[in-house]
Amino acid sequence: MDDISLLGKLERVTAPPDFEQRVMTQLAQRRAALPQTRRAQAFRYSLAGAAAALLVCFLVLNVFVLRNGAGRAQMAGREVTEVMKAADIVPITETVNYRNEVRDASSEPQTVYILEQVSYASNKYIRY
Amino acid sequence: MMNMDEQHLIGRIQAGDESAFAEIVHIYKDRIVNYLYQVTGDYQKAVDLSQETFLRVFFKANKYRPIARFSSWIYAIASNLAKTELKKGRRASLVSFDDIQPGHEARTPSEESMDSGLIRNLRQALEALNPRYRIPVVLKDIEGYSQEEIAEIIQRPVGTVKARISRGRNILRRQLEKATKENLSFQKREIFDGRY
Repeated sequence: MDDISLLGKLERVTAPPDFEQRVMTQLAQRRAALPQTRRAQAFRYSLAGAAAALLVCFLVLNVFVLRNGAGRAQMAGREVTEVMKAADIVPITETVNYRNEVRDASSEPQTVYILEQVSYASNKYIRY
Repeated sequence: MMNMDEQHLIGRIQAGDESAFAEIVHIYKDRIVNYLYQVTGDYQKAVDLSQETFLRVFFKANKYRPIARFSSWIYAIASNLAKTELKKGRRASLVSFDDIQPGHEARTPSEESMDSGLIRNLRQALEALNPRYRIPVVLKDIEGYSQEEIAEIIQRPVGTVKARISRGRNILRRQLEKATKENLSFQKREIFDGRY
């Protein structure tokens, strides 16, 4: 006889006599606790919602703060222009043909240094 | 007819009828307790899991769709609970195949005690079997479900079910042969030592 066929001969068990009663009691308990469970669930969801709202607020504020940072830079530029106007300073812009510059310096090493103004905060202006 | 009755009962449970639920518990309690006992090997655990199974039937009744047989659905709930429980307790109570000791009276002249020894070995081998194979084997060889029904219960294709049953049986067979050989050598040793 195949040993596996003995699986059908394994001892069978039945539910204890008070099984149904225990299930019904537990059911009543769970049903009674259901509103509380739902309240707890609602609380958890609202907590998660509040956290999400806080995050959104933080992101929005962050964007505003960044914008303000950029705005401050613009303001600084504007202030410089106003100071220049008040001091009757005429800004002069000279165009430079880099090709000529390079050609003139052809005997020199072929490295071109381009110097540019990196800050508007300079307090030295050219007066004509 | 039974199916129609059950469909009617589940409809009533969906409406919150506790008496219909009590009928379902009455119909299935022994089958579910026995099934979970065969899967877990622990009667108390099987009773607790059966209670939880029935409570889930009540609270999740609105998720039941009549495309599957009601019994398949309830066995699926029980199987999932058993699987979770076995995973939880795997580290604490895993029985290694190597721990299966040959029963002292597994092979005696009488056919009856030979069977009882074999059955004990079989029980131990079954408990050591991975739940992936144990559940389909129990459903097929103890509960008598068809492969299609098992596929419905464990929510896997029929081919997978066939493979798992076959592999599970092979593992059991190998373990039984091993236990029998060890048992024979154990008896020979006892005779040699003069205990018989």
